[in-house]
Amino acid sequence: MNERSITQYYRKHRKAIVTATSGLLYGGGWSLGHLTSFDMASAVILVFATVVGGYDIAQTAYHEVSNRTLGIKTLVTLAAIGAIIIGEYWEAAAVVFLFSLGSYLEGRTMRKTRTALQELLEMTPDTATVRRDGELQEVPAREVEEGEVVVVKPGGKIPVDGTVIDGESAVNQAPVTGESAPVHKADGDGVYAGTVNQEGALEIRTTGAGSDTTLERIIRRVEEAQEAQSPTESLIDRFAKYYTPAVIALAIGAYAVTQNAILSLTLLVIGCPGALVIGPPVSIVSAIGNAARSGVLMKGGEHLERAGKIDLVAFDKTGTLTKGETTVADVEGFGIADDEVLSLAATTEKKSEHHLADAIVDAARERPTAATDGGATVANAVEADRNPRSIPDPDDFDVVAGKGVVARYDGHEIVVGNRALLDDRGIDIPSRVADYVREREERGETVVHVIRDGDVIGTIAMRDELREAAPDVVAALRDAGIKTMMLTGDNERTAAAVAEEVGIDEYRAELLPEDKQSVIEACQADGHVVAMVGDGINDAPSLATADVGIAMGAAGTDTAIETADMALMADDLERIPYAVTLSKATRWNVLENVGLAVLTVTVLLAGVLTSYITLASGMLVHEASVLAVILNGMRLLRY
Amino acid sequence: MSDTTQFRVMDFDCPTCASTVERALSNVNGVQHVEVHYATGRVEIEYDDSVADPDVFAQTIENQGYTPQPA
Repeated sequence: MNERSITQYYRKHRKAIVTATSGLLYGGGWSLGHLTSFDMASAVILVFATVVGGYDIAQTAYHEVSNRTLGIKTLVTLAAIGAIIIGEYWEAAAVVFLFSLGSYLEGRTMRKTRTALQELLEMTPDTATVRRDGELQEVPAREVEEGEVVVVKPGGKIPVDGTVIDGESAVNQAPVTGESAPVHKADGDGVYAGTVNQEGALEIRTTGAGSDTTLERIIRRVEEAQEAQSPTESLIDRFAKYYTPAVIALAIGAYAVTQNAILSLTLLVIGCPGALVIGPPVSIVSAIGNAARSGVLMKGGEHLERAGKIDLVAFDKTGTLTKGETTVADVEGFGIADDEVLSLAATTEKKSEHHLADAIVDAARERPTAATDGGATVANAVEADRNPRSIPDPDDFDVVAGKGVVARYDGHEIVVGNRALLDDRGIDIPSRVADYVREREERGETVVHVIRDGDVIGTIAMRDELREAAPDVVAALRDAGIKTMMLTGDNERTAAAVAEEVGIDEYRAELLPEDKQSVIEACQADGHVVAMVGDGINDAPSLATADVGIAMGAAGTDTAIETADMALMADDLERIPYAVTLSKATRWNVLENVGLAVLTVTVLLAGVLTSYITLASGMLVHEASVLAVILNGMRLLRY
Repeated sequence: MSDTTQFRVMDFDCPTCASTVERALSNVNGVQHVEVHYATGRVEIEYDDSVADPDVFAQTIENQGYTPQPA
């Protein structure tokens, strides 16, 4: 080992070396004093142990005082100097050594918490293989431009956000979405930087590189979340500012009254609020870091603490409990051909952005024998796929929010909507139509009526498949003591069928978007702490009203990352029980840490006042309590 | 013109260490706003780039006994 590497080694391990040296000197000094009669030599060694172990502490204390902040290092320095002045060399060396050992262990453990986020950052590769001028070039990943083509070999990490333009593979998206199973990717699918290409080579057209990737955005959000203090943290921070000067005042007061310097110095050491101040942030940072690695973005301590009190989870139905891929299950004409019903409905709905409208228009485009605006009739579905039907535009078009659409086409008024819209317009539903609709709704399907010039000419039944995980998620929440509720614009019968299938506790049907918000407000007025789960865009008002808004599938939409209190990166419902129970565990963890800290100071104070606690044993217990709260908080890293 | 820079300090022992660094940095000429967080070790400095020299920030952190790393 040359001189330079020795210096580097010393710098890197300075704290451990100083602590060990101070400990050895302390042990030697103590042995000399207790086992031999070399009292003077023992005193000299103990003072030396205090100086070696205390130099860094005193230096920081000097900075603390000169920057007008008072912390434990100032208290420890005062205690050590005081102990030497009154001849208690053993106590001085013990306090310094135990503090040094405690803060070394504390530093090691805290570093683990602090590096949890760095691991996420290291997921992104530094270089990318880019196709430029027909040749493959290795370039720094940050320098890849939008639109460039990146090639990723099997087993390689994907360096950019982009769209697959060639190749097929299974991609492990765990770093971004938390999904444990690989996701199949082929032409046209989006991929994220930091994910791992497992099987085949992929060519990817870049949509974002460097700091403009989903993973980087998540990391930035997580960092910001870690900085946002929870109410408990803010309270303790404010408290700590006044507490340390108060401890010094108490120690001076105790000396003035009792003239007992040891008592006064012990008060200084044990009075420091170390565990109290350190506990809550460690718990919260650990929980946010764990959640991030599992694909759940927590937007800060405040939301995390509130989420710990959730006792009701409200789910939006479409796209949340269901897959959000509505398809037409059945078209029934009453007095006219089924295809004509579908064709008219598609024209009416063509300009609507509602998901039911999309399903109707898609069905009409793909239906092999659907009536069209005069185009040639195609023979089969394969042909329709290749050459989808064009749908004519309506002459005018009006959306009735939450109820349906009214349009004019070819001289007729066409209405496509739910029962409420028919009631509003005074349209009677023939009994055979009503019977048919009831039967479909009892299967959990959503039915819209098609009306031409005031007469019901047909119905379209649509189905949105439930997510497979939905019943298990609802059951897991119930097991955690949390009530569940489904909010939907669907009619009562469809909602009841879906609610029964999922096993949800309560449902509210036939809701307009603003009604969902009112339902949440009513639940809050009943004393519930409500979480609302939605897709982050359509449900914005109810997500904002709920105590905790949980957006799903946020990896694909920046809006969801920006607006929700909690965001699930993947469309993975199973993360919800995890996120809610993690929040509850965090809240308990913070309370445990605060409780342990207060209990320690109370017991130590009682011990000092009854002379059971010495300066050294006070420091030992104090440092042990600091380590205990850090280790307790770090349990959340592996929750 | 206002600019921001960040560091990460991994060797804070306690929240007071963070407050000490925060105070020291806020006394540097041209610094407009400083946030130092104990739990994450993140140091964020907003400064007037016509007055402040960003090289001084790392030195100031080192002078307080801590090791700044680029964020």
